[in-house]
Amino acid sequence: MIRLLLVDDEPQLVRALRPALNAEGYEVSAAETGLDAIAQMAAEPSDVILLDLGLPDMDGKEVIRRLREWTEVPILVLSARDLEGEKIAALDLGADDFINKPFGIGELLARVRAALRGRERRFAASAVFRCDDLEINFATRRVTLDGMEIRLTPREYDLIRTLARHAGRVVTHKQLIAAVWGPASDVEAQFVRVLVGQVRQKLEADSAAPQLLLTEPGIGYRLRAED
Amino acid sequence: MRSARLNWPALRDLEGWRRYAAAFGTVVVSTLVSELLYRSLDTTRLSMVFLAGVVVAAVWLGSGPAYFAALTAYGIYNFYLVDPRFTIQFVTAEDFIVLTVFLIVAMLTGGLAGRVRDAARRAQSRAQATNALLAASREFTSLVSEQAVQERLAAHLATVARGEAMISTGGAAVLHPPGITPPAQTPAGDAAPSEEAWVAAGWRTRLLRADGEVLGVAAWRPATTESAPSDDQTQLVHVLVDLGATALVRARLSEAQTEIETLARTERLRNALLSSISHDLRTPLASILASATSLKDFGERFDSAVRADLLDTIQEEAERMNRFIANLLNMTKLESGALRVEPAPFDVAEVADQALAWLSSRLAGRKVTRRLPARPAVALGDSILLEQALSNVLENALRYTPETTGLSVEIEAEHEVVITIADQGHGVPPQDLERIFEKFYRGGAAESLQQGAGLGLSITRGLVEAMGGSAQARLPQTGGLEVEIRLPAATEALT
Repeated sequence: MIRLLLVDDEPQLVRALRPALNAEGYEVSAAETGLDAIAQMAAEPSDVILLDLGLPDMDGKEVIRRLREWTEVPILVLSARDLEGEKIAALDLGADDFINKPFGIGELLARVRAALRGRERRFAASAVFRCDDLEINFATRRVTLDGMEIRLTPREYDLIRTLARHAGRVVTHKQLIAAVWGPASDVEAQFVRVLVGQVRQKLEADSAAPQLLLTEPGIGYRLRAED
Repeated sequence: MRSARLNWPALRDLEGWRRYAAAFGTVVVSTLVSELLYRSLDTTRLSMVFLAGVVVAAVWLGSGPAYFAALTAYGIYNFYLVDPRFTIQFVTAEDFIVLTVFLIVAMLTGGLAGRVRDAARRAQSRAQATNALLAASREFTSLVSEQAVQERLAAHLATVARGEAMISTGGAAVLHPPGITPPAQTPAGDAAPSEEAWVAAGWRTRLLRADGEVLGVAAWRPATTESAPSDDQTQLVHVLVDLGATALVRARLSEAQTEIETLARTERLRNALLSSISHDLRTPLASILASATSLKDFGERFDSAVRADLLDTIQEEAERMNRFIANLLNMTKLESGALRVEPAPFDVAEVADQALAWLSSRLAGRKVTRRLPARPAVALGDSILLEQALSNVLENALRYTPETTGLSVEIEAEHEVVITIADQGHGVPPQDLERIFEKFYRGGAAESLQQGAGLGLSITRGLVEAMGGSAQARLPQTGGLEVEIRLPAATEALT
């Protein structure tokens, strides 16, 4: 059974989420404060954390920072705020993904699955990523669409590889820049947009209405999860 | 303030030709004394009396009058006492020597004493100038508005210049004393000389200049033009004007800073309100959407108890949103004065029970004590508004007290209906007791992340006051926080 820690000071939301999470096979424990969450993680580690950023005792970002000092548990941020800066900061501190409140249960469950799978991928040795007609072979650096090989520049390949490794989860502009241009480069987010546009031209049926490589406005990009 | 004003010695010391007249008077007094001694003692060796007069003149009036007194004394002494008397001739060599030595000694003594006196006077005047500047500087430091600095500078300048003064910095000129006629023209802008300049009718001006920026013009005119101002006085005026210019710059900066801070505070409040509204609307919505989609996706896999619980959540959270929206509307109405209360008698206990019923699911696990009067407490007002007001107090208590602590609602009815809602939480700091009714106050949590708009109690007070009642908070000895709502009682019984 997968243990899930839900950190939110709204008992009503916990009450609303618990049945569906239980039905999906998660063992749900709840914490109302940041300190409670940290204590629960220390006593009985969960496999995934759903964390609200606005907690009564401390900033949710602080909870992420403290947890990341010793655990790599996937953290999914629940944010009722439409402050992109907060979410970017949370992701940069080591959160795996975010979901905007209010959300439907299906969307939440998909994000939780992606967060758990992404965590597995980081350590597993699967060399191939498949989603719809897209196939990426990390060993041979070959990208095919419906069996046809797609020619990508080295930067385009680095971009799609980074997104594929985090498939289903958001990757911030900053993280993409670090992965494609190197951590020390001072490239602007505009360059990422241009590069994403080029990749979409080659991979998407309609690059104006992308189905694979999705935009998270103001934050970054997300590649659809593997089938 | 008044006592700090520059207190210049009124003409305690004589000026100009009067000093010489006084010196002459001293010699005359010496002569009279000599005459007296001459008559009573029959001696003509009275040069010491004249010498004494010269020294007195020197100490009193300074070196110039001292020399004058010495020469006069020499003349009178010679003419009046030295044989042959009433001539300026002398016969013996002894007399000549005495007279010459007298003149030399008188000149030397007078000169020395006079110089000592002049030095003392200058030191005194410098001390006064320093004190005056210190007092002005202290006063300027305590002033925060440009207008106040201008007024005080004009007052100080008028005192130091012993006349009238005007400060002009672009706007209306400040005059001291008020109502005087300002100079016809003043130099303006960078074209004007920075040094002191004469303008019409005895007015002098100096630019108010600080940090290389010209702020305006200071002008002053002594009340009397009999004597030219001394160097020390001119210096003092200049230093005072420069001091005032610096104070003006400081006041301007301080005013600008206050303005910026006010703007920033307004901006912060607006942002806090927006983010709180967004939070307070989305939080119930999150529970509603999660429950509804859970039912849709998993409906058949949930047992009936779970389905009922999710449906309850949807209902309760929708009601909560509705209350929040009603609060927002009421706040807007209260702010704009558009809230109209149509007073009608109603039973307060019923309304309190309704408010408790709304919150029943969140009250689970808490001990709620109700104390009601024997006869129904009938108040005059609007029952819907009171329900909103009570809900806000109760929600606040739920939000800020530990989950297991109790609540009590007590209703008393006499000439007023008094509703007291008490919790068993940590209360608030005593100094914040009134502030909890202010908008955006969020119980010591303003800096932390406790969410909510911080509007509840301010709306409660607004609503209750609109019904002719009042809302107060108290910290009882037993701990917790008590909110007391008073409403006018209905005189006629409820039908």
